[in-house]
Amino acid sequence: MILTLLAAAPKGPLDTWSPTLLTLFALLLPLIALLIILAFTVDSRRMSAAISVIFTLAAVVCAILVVAIEIAHPLHLERNGTFLQLFTGQTGVASEFVLQWGVLADPLAAVMLTVVTLTSLLVQVYALGFIRREDGPVRFFCVLLFATFAMTGVALSTSYFEMLFFFGLVTLSTYLMIGYWWQREEAVAAASRAFIISAAGDLALLGGVAYIFFRFSELNFQTLASQYTGGKVGANGLFIMSVLVFLGAAAKSAQFPLHAWLPGSAQAPAPAAALLHSAGAALCGVYLVARAYALFHASPRGLALLAIVGGLTAVLGVLWALFQENLKRAIAYTTMSELGLMVLALGLGAYGASIFEVFAHAWPKALLFLAAGVTIRELRTERLAEMGGLWRRMPLTGWVMIIAVAAGAGIPPFSTFWSKDAILSKALALRSPLAVIAITAVTFLGAMALVRIFRLAFTGETVRRRRFEPERIRDASGRVAIAMVILAIPCTVAGIRGFRGRTDPIAFVTFPGLTLSNSHFAAAALTAAAAVLGAVVAWAIYARRARPVSALEPIRRTMGEGLFIERAYQFGATGLLLPASRAAGWIEQRVDGTIDLVGDSVAFLGQPRRWLPDVRAGQLLVGLFAAVAALAIATIVLAGRVIGRVG
Amino acid sequence: MTLLEAIPQATTPTVQLPTLLLSGMVWVPALAAIGLLFFPTRTDAHRERIRSFAIGTAALVLALAVVMWYGFRDQSGTFAYEETRPWLPAAGSSYHLGVDGVSMAMLLLSAFLFLFAVLASGRVREQVKEYFILLLILETGVNGVFASLDYLLFFLFWQLQAVPMFLLIARFGGARRLSAAWKFLAIDLAGSGLLLLAILILYFKAPARTFDMVTLHDATLPVALATLIAWLFFIAFAVRLPVFPFHTWFIDAQAEASAPVVMILAGLFVKLGGYGIIRVDVGEFQAAFHKIVGAVVVIAVITVLWSAVAALAQDNLRRLLGYVVMSHMGLVLLGAAAAVPLAINGAVLMMLADGLTAGLLVLLAAATVERANTSSIRAMGGMAGRMSRSTILWMLAALAAAGFPGLAGFVGQLLIVLGAYPGHRLATPLALLGVLAVAGVLIWTIQRIFFGPAAEQHGRVRDLGTLELANGVGLLSLIVLLGVLPAILMDSVNFSVLTMLSRGGG
Repeated sequence: MILTLLAAAPKGPLDTWSPTLLTLFALLLPLIALLIILAFTVDSRRMSAAISVIFTLAAVVCAILVVAIEIAHPLHLERNGTFLQLFTGQTGVASEFVLQWGVLADPLAAVMLTVVTLTSLLVQVYALGFIRREDGPVRFFCVLLFATFAMTGVALSTSYFEMLFFFGLVTLSTYLMIGYWWQREEAVAAASRAFIISAAGDLALLGGVAYIFFRFSELNFQTLASQYTGGKVGANGLFIMSVLVFLGAAAKSAQFPLHAWLPGSAQAPAPAAALLHSAGAALCGVYLVARAYALFHASPRGLALLAIVGGLTAVLGVLWALFQENLKRAIAYTTMSELGLMVLALGLGAYGASIFEVFAHAWPKALLFLAAGVTIRELRTERLAEMGGLWRRMPLTGWVMIIAVAAGAGIPPFSTFWSKDAILSKALALRSPLAVIAITAVTFLGAMALVRIFRLAFTGETVRRRRFEPERIRDASGRVAIAMVILAIPCTVAGIRGFRGRTDPIAFVTFPGLTLSNSHFAAAALTAAAAVLGAVVAWAIYARRARPVSALEPIRRTMGEGLFIERAYQFGATGLLLPASRAAGWIEQRVDGTIDLVGDSVAFLGQPRRWLPDVRAGQLLVGLFAAVAALAIATIVLAGRVIGRVG
Repeated sequence: MTLLEAIPQATTPTVQLPTLLLSGMVWVPALAAIGLLFFPTRTDAHRERIRSFAIGTAALVLALAVVMWYGFRDQSGTFAYEETRPWLPAAGSSYHLGVDGVSMAMLLLSAFLFLFAVLASGRVREQVKEYFILLLILETGVNGVFASLDYLLFFLFWQLQAVPMFLLIARFGGARRLSAAWKFLAIDLAGSGLLLLAILILYFKAPARTFDMVTLHDATLPVALATLIAWLFFIAFAVRLPVFPFHTWFIDAQAEASAPVVMILAGLFVKLGGYGIIRVDVGEFQAAFHKIVGAVVVIAVITVLWSAVAALAQDNLRRLLGYVVMSHMGLVLLGAAAAVPLAINGAVLMMLADGLTAGLLVLLAAATVERANTSSIRAMGGMAGRMSRSTILWMLAALAAAGFPGLAGFVGQLLIVLGAYPGHRLATPLALLGVLAVAGVLIWTIQRIFFGPAAEQHGRVRDLGTLELANGVGLLSLIVLLGVLPAILMDSVNFSVLTMLSRGGG
């Protein structure tokens, strides 16, 4: 680490290679930690955890250094390695396809890198206290390290190919995290669903990569950025490319209708779910769109697609969140809504604001899941209806939860207020009433959903349940508490846009050609009003545990089940594919039967059962060669006759 | 200096006896088989000696392959390690062997797989001598096909494989092994008949009366005749591939034969079909093949989709793996049909990757079936608790078969897609759909076998033993190596493919 610092220290005019070296370290450190654990310390819980935390801490330091360097001198640099090269190009004849691998350092990558590594670190600290011995802590840290490596790889990808590669790794890490408690059937089913949807997205991305390569013969992001508008590919071609790339991103970022895996992700252990929702698979999709933004910018229909799907996702997610009975699922649906908001912002052209939202949203979301984890562990239930009155019994968790809810809801001055304000400013600047209404509504309902969670879980009276004594609820303490408290800090301050100029979080990440949306007072006021109002309304509505009106029951169930989309997927799979498969099996049996006839007749001629077991090796060889010779002669003779007739 | 630069580049084979290495690879197993005839088999110690001898032979062949590969960098565009000796001059056939990048890679695969298969043959207790003799003769046949540059020699080595494989399935298999074996033999002989027909038509109709591939390459034939020959070759190889609807022999053999035999069958035997198509149809009859490409692509897509759909309802674990391999071979066929350098590189790489992956999956499936005492997936469940090593290996093998990044299959699939897409805009996405389906089925299968609540009867299963684990990890490391550093092999393969395609041929 000392060497890292020394090596990265600028010597005179800025060394152009140092940010990329730091990013390379940040990428490789989790992988190295994983390999060390697997090779040496698999049996020791303490050593594995220590290695994991230390290496992640080093990665965080690298990330922060990169951010510092990028703030000082924003550059877009790449460092290419020679691993995973498909052809070395040394064969003399020019190979038409050389795959390269590398890391890049620019403001966008720096932001994502910080989010991933810092969240991973805090989640690991939390896991030190949360994951018990019987849960397999070493395995958990290995899974976390692998996920960190995959997400960091996505953040630092230089080309579509590399992004595809790391997307695959993220899909796998998502599967491992959601299916972590593999003894539970729901967890395994949720993990499989997540894997399949993610893999489908990856395949769509593969299609997009193929098409881009076919038209541009190039896969590098930076090189391609200037080529999209060059006229080489028409509007339709660009739109197809953007659709395919967006499909890959949408599967990862749970956009409607590929969102079905996100509620299931609540099956993951709380720290894993925290990482997943704040910096993980959920974010990788948005990041892909941001990285490939030049493509979308060149295709107006692509931008429109982003806006429509993002808006739809945002609204639906938050509506469904309001009807969830399960604590973690409720939080998961709010994530879906936030992701929709990010995509909507990108569709509107609020590039910096969207990335800012990514940055600002990660902390409260992670904190929400961590607090939820503690709550569920103490109360031994996941259902909101069985919680309540925790404020008195778990004050630290309660405070942390309040901060997380406020930050997630967009109440000033917490983090997402500033980012939502920025997005709304862009919508106002575009004078698009639909966008303004959507964003305001999402902010309002999002605040409602989050405050509803807090209200139901923490206020009121603890519900009495059989064999459960509320007096035994203990507050979070130790490493769990430390992690949550540290995480509360960025929730509070991460958004504050104190300075104009380069250190302004929105101005930090820019896209050439897009004007910054300076915040109007109107936007700020509207955002604040929506968030606060939503909070107040939720506080009022969910004060008492009122009996649900039975007439609304069908609506409640429909919303709770996410419009039965998950059921639709299942029906598609079992109702359509399985009968098709059985039909295929039936046809196979018929085909097989015919060929069996041929085989059996040959067998009948040969009567093998008599002589086969008694043959000795010598006879076997002689018979073998004789058979081959006889067959050959017979075929040659026959074939000669045929050829004679053909010729 | 990177790892790749550390591998020496030679422009000509530098071995002192180049002509013997290739013949050695082909004939050492046969000689060993003959030597095995004289081994006694009365006691257990004798049988151990036979086993060790077989392992030593396979290791020797592998050493030869590695030495050959190390000194091999095909820069000249011709075949390396070439040997030409007169054999049947009256008939126009000579003992002509040689390798280029594609066959060298396949020979490496063959050497590795046979070694792993021999190592995994620890469970054979009776008729040990016969078993290894048959296996070694099979190796001669397989290596001979890869090395042949003379059509008659090609055919003879091709035929040499039929009877040993038949006997291996028939004598060392499961309950319905005889039916599966006869089905295999019937279809295989039919295919070889077509192969011989094609060769003979070529022989009689070409201007020069010779069987030599290199000489015949420059022979010009009337278009209709060339197309007919290309068709005959294609069908003969496609039967082995296996394509729909000639695939049932393969699925049955997967279910009934013993694990090492299935390793060779799925990992190597069917790759000969792909190799044949690339070597003969694409390499020698390019123009003619170009005419029938439409039909070939349709067959390839149907094969992929059919195997994907059939895999879904499959309850027998071993048959399921058969469908997985079949879908990959359909993809290989698509790549070969696209006939652009990118796609053919992908096809070769896919064959290599699938050979290793299929070998690993077969080994793991055999271990799992044996422990669970059933082939039925429905009867398994929750076995991860007792078989954690198995679970990890299974997951990685399934991911490799699904084409996961970082593992061997990914680059092959990527290249096939990139190469085939421009020419076949509809077929490639359909094939991709099939691939996704197979990936989903594999993950689902692992979930059904290992995760979820544990079934009662699996409470006392053992995890993988040391030898099984070593085999598995060995295969896995090759898979990872090929996935992360494909350039090791792909440079020479690429050069040979470019040469092959630029030479044209009718």
